[in-house]
Amino acid sequence: MRIRILAQSVLVGLLLAVTAQAQTVTVMGSTALGPIVKKAAEDFMKANPGVQIAVSGGGSMTGLNQVTSGGCHIGISDVFATPDQEKAGVKNHNIVVQPFTLIAHPGVGVKSLTSLQAEQVFTGKITNWKEVGGKDQKIVRVIRPESSGTRAVQKKEILHDHDFTKDVLIQDSTGAVVNSVATTIGAVSFVELEHLEKNKVRVSGIAYNGAECSNEAVKSGKYPIFSFGHAYTNPAKLSDPKVKQAAEAFLAYILTPAFQQNVVLKAGYLPVDYVKILKTKL
Amino acid sequence: MNDSSESTLAATKPLDAVSGTKRIQPVLPVFRQSRLHRLADRWSHLLFLACSLLVVALIGGILFFLATRGLAAFFPLAGNTGRTLSFSEVFLTTDWAPSSDRFGILPFVAGSLAVTGLALLVAAPTGILTGVFIAKLAPPWMRTLMRQVMDLLVGIPSVVYGIFGLTVILPLVSRTWLTNAPASGFAISAMILSVMIVPTIVSLATDAFESLPPSLDEGSQALGSSRWQAIWHVLMPAAKPRLLTATVLGLGRAIGEAMAVQMVIGNNPQWIALMRESTDRAPFLRALFTPAATLTTELVQELPNTAAGSPWNNVLFAMGLLLYLLTMVLILTTRRLGRGQEA
Repeated sequence: MRIRILAQSVLVGLLLAVTAQAQTVTVMGSTALGPIVKKAAEDFMKANPGVQIAVSGGGSMTGLNQVTSGGCHIGISDVFATPDQEKAGVKNHNIVVQPFTLIAHPGVGVKSLTSLQAEQVFTGKITNWKEVGGKDQKIVRVIRPESSGTRAVQKKEILHDHDFTKDVLIQDSTGAVVNSVATTIGAVSFVELEHLEKNKVRVSGIAYNGAECSNEAVKSGKYPIFSFGHAYTNPAKLSDPKVKQAAEAFLAYILTPAFQQNVVLKAGYLPVDYVKILKTKL
Repeated sequence: MNDSSESTLAATKPLDAVSGTKRIQPVLPVFRQSRLHRLADRWSHLLFLACSLLVVALIGGILFFLATRGLAAFFPLAGNTGRTLSFSEVFLTTDWAPSSDRFGILPFVAGSLAVTGLALLVAAPTGILTGVFIAKLAPPWMRTLMRQVMDLLVGIPSVVYGIFGLTVILPLVSRTWLTNAPASGFAISAMILSVMIVPTIVSLATDAFESLPPSLDEGSQALGSSRWQAIWHVLMPAAKPRLLTATVLGLGRAIGEAMAVQMVIGNNPQWIALMRESTDRAPFLRALFTPAATLTTELVQELPNTAAGSPWNNVLFAMGLLLYLLTMVLILTTRRLGRGQEA
């Protein structure tokens, strides 16, 4: 008897869960964009009680893969979709602008690099900080793995598509990169601006062509290195109209001026509209 | 099953009634007589069977999954949306640059073997000698203490060792020995790994020595051997198969470890090429402190970020398959070795 009641309640619970699931929008992908999307989800759910937004990580490519195959409704990513994925019908929405900056161990004695110096530091032509006006310390380049979105931006913007030198240290996440740079003498790396601002005591920023990275510098066009944070949807796989509506409403919410101005800016990103003013190609 | 038990019940009752004497009943376990418990008995039997089958199915399933995804790199299977690679370009070249279409995994294989070998070189003698000490030489209070400490150490999660290595050992070594060059590489990774596997080896080695019959020890001492001779010439050979097993279990833990190694090794897939280019006069020493990579560290870093079905992703699965097979072969050969020694 007790078992029957238990079974019934489990069934009812499952049914409830299934009906609740119908209103759930799943978001997967970039761990860098995760916090800001989670914040958006919290605010959005407060304003729209019937809707659940479930945000999980996994990495940029996971987000793209999953949204392509229909495994999640929205895939967030630091990188652009591959041609194959575009062919499969995924749709890009730019949600934020991420400024990137060079960082170094506080003791290297260099405050600024020209674009050529920065390129040569990472291609291996420059191996000691004294060659660029710093202390006599070996340059230790800390970079992200090949599959990382940050590394893709770095290769394009800093190395101008040249190959990295083989003499590198590789760290899995931006957090680990910052740790490594803070504890390794002579270390240099490339991270999102927000990570420098959070760790100003432990690592120092390096200006690029004399321009220090800041939101204002990016906005005014003085500082050229930034990329988009993307959210992808796959309209072909969004068969449930309710979910589709919720997902679209959620993306629209992220792009509202209120969210972009109040939350995105504070989190160390830039609102997407800013690039309309910018003339740099991405 | 129902029929037979009912018939025994039926058989015992009339027997008592007919004879009328007080016979000593065979003491049947109570649960045998309750239908519910009999059912529970049968179902639990099935449950245990199902659990053990599940484990077998899981191992087989993982192998199958790894094989289908991993082999897709080399054959135009369903899981392959990109170029089909040749075995030689993957297993025999040292150039890993997947975004430039170069997929040599030799650095990772060599890295895994090197770091595991180095760790064992330190951990096996240390662990076995500690085992001897705990089992045969230590005073009782110390024995209990050491055992407890070892059990505690086994339970520490690997990421803790990793953080310790990253924030304490690396900066320390870099500052004191290496004139501020980064210390990431095989030396520190192997050191951290050996600290991780020593407790496992110690626990098993202690068991091995304690399970030896005391007559061995006593006999050899009665024949006039010193303590050292008894340990070295009698106890060690007698415990050898189990010591080998202890070492292999440590080896298994070391080769499969990802987190701790990943944090301190430097993760540079181009380490072999880098070594070749270097003009250092002490290449072996330099190799110890060159940022390198292993199978596990590369999997941890790249697998979540590559597109499914791409050659890159498939090669990573092939690396997983290789790791699986490597561990299997190691365990099986050692088991055979151990058995040979015992006979």
